Amino acid sequence: MTGSKSTEIRVKGIREGILLGLNNHSAPFAELLQRLQEELAEKRTFLKGSRIVLDVGDHLLQRTQLAQIQTLLSENEMELWTVLAEPAATREAARALGLATRLAGSNTDLDGNDLAIGSAAQAGLEAEASSGANALLVLETIRSGRSVQHEGHVTILGDVNPGAQIIARGHVVVWGRLRGMVHAGASGDASAVICALQLTPTQLRIANHIAIPPEEQQPALFPEMASVRDGQIVAEPWRVRE
Amino acid sequence: MHAKVITVTSGKGGVGKTTVTANLAAALAMLGKRVAAIDSDIGLRNLDVVMGLENRIVYDLVDVVEGRCRLSQAMIRDKRFAELYLIPAAQTRDKMAVSPSDMVLVCDQLRPDMDYVVIDSPAGIERGFRNAIAPADQVIVVTNPEVSAVRDADRIIGLIEAEEKGPGQLIINRIKPSMVARGDMLSIADVLDILAIDLLGVVPEDEAILISSNRGLPVAMSATNSASASQAFRNIAQRLEGNDVPILDLAPQSGILSRLRNWVRGE
Ligand SMILES: Nc1ncnc2c1ncn2[C@@H]1O[C@H](COP(=O)(O)OP(=O)(O)OP(=O)(O)O)[C@@H](O)[C@H]1O
Ligand SMILES: [Mg+2]
Repeated sequence: MTGSKSTEIRVKGIREGILLGLNNHSAPFAELLQRLQEELAEKRTFLKGSRIVLDVGDHLLQRTQLAQIQTLLSENEMELWTVLAEPAATREAARALGLATRLAGSNTDLDGNDLAIGSAAQAGLEAEASSGANALLVLETIRSGRSVQHEGHVTILGDVNPGAQIIARGHVVVWGRLRGMVHAGASGDASAVICALQLTPTQLRIANHIAIPPEEQQPALFPEMASVRDGQIVAEPWRVRE
Repeated sequence: MHAKVITVTSGKGGVGKTTVTANLAAALAMLGKRVAAIDSDIGLRNLDVVMGLENRIVYDLVDVVEGRCRLSQAMIRDKRFAELYLIPAAQTRDKMAVSPSDMVLVCDQLRPDMDYVVIDSPAGIERGFRNAIAPADQVIVVTNPEVSAVRDADRIIGLIEAEEKGPGQLIINRIKPSMVARGDMLSIADVLDILAIDLLGVVPEDEAILISSNRGLPVAMSATNSASASQAFRNIAQRLEGNDVPILDLAPQSGILSRLRNWVRGE
């Protein structure tokens, strides 16, 4: 098949699962997908049940395209776990789907050989330079009666107890249990979010929206993020922002 | 000899500070320690009543601070223990009559001759609270298993931390095991979950407290059964002495209890 020559797909076992590498830079997406489908059909029995690390190199892929790949993989009983990509936009799209964009461990295969994914993995490591310049980091639990107010984002490494309050112009992240009151986007920014490892506040405010959680709230067992959606504050499992 | 100064405080009023102060002072005296209890609740004194020493008051803390008497003249010796003393509060003055540095001076005078100085605080977070914790080497926070009391205890712990007196240690007073079991009362674990400080002891709701307060005889001094407030106070005194005594077995679930023991050990 001519396609298999022009659109090479690498398959390699690594610590994190199976690495699928897309090499061809210029191939249109439809051809990539077609090629991947053939490859999977061929190696399915071998790859079935694996976690997949997809290295797309410098392909600029959109969220819907990554979602198509994800579907294709799950149809073949594989789980897309990580997307390694050089373009920041592709990584962003991957994160929007809840996918990792870098490997946790070293860049070596099971035999300890260096993988040719260094550049992509490295690119993923670089923190996206967000508007973190004006952020306040508080390294303690905020107890009842205390109020933390800041003109930018606020991060608390600790709990926010009932009777305490955080008021921020930007986002608020609580690396701990949020049980007090938080007001994010306090000067009117409804795109501000509030994240917490355990989100069981007495009250949340974003811009001019106010939410009072249900009476008998059971704390979720995962981090949550609150944001304004259709004029209402909603909480959902925490994933990296789109 | 250097006494340890322990301040008993709470935030919310009426949770049992005075009861805890009187009983810890008594229980420590029963262990043969030299103890001075100071009532810093000026204008609302009642430690003297609970300790049964009211009728012997001649001079008080404000008299000492304002130089009308020597410290030893304001120290009322207990009827039952020769090494237990009370320094009463003034009934007719207000908190402003004493300053934090006055309290430090008084305690420094007591340190050489005592093993423990136990200070009862007024409710609230104002001047009286600052007076009470200024000389403290150790702070005990008393709370009830009740949302509003825990909220105020949390506030006080924040203030104690801000004064660099450590987070303090916790006594949960008036636990009713049957109510906890029904889910009608915060459990020990619930309280610790919010406050996240070391647990020094748990004191059950006990009618004997009311009776003994009226008689001026702290329960710690009277005969006891194993699940009584009296025993709880004696155990707390042992823990202050550095002895590893398990928390009273009041909670029905063993899971919570084993966690409690760990907390105490972690001190
Ligand atoms: N474990 C207990 N069981 C039953 N009654 C108790 C218990 N502890 C305290 N009490 C009762 O609660 C009331 C308040 O206690 P206490 O005076 O010790 O509180 P306080 O914190 O010193 O109050 P204040 O803030 O007014 O000084 C008293 O009537 C006392 O007898
Ligand atoms: Mg009192």
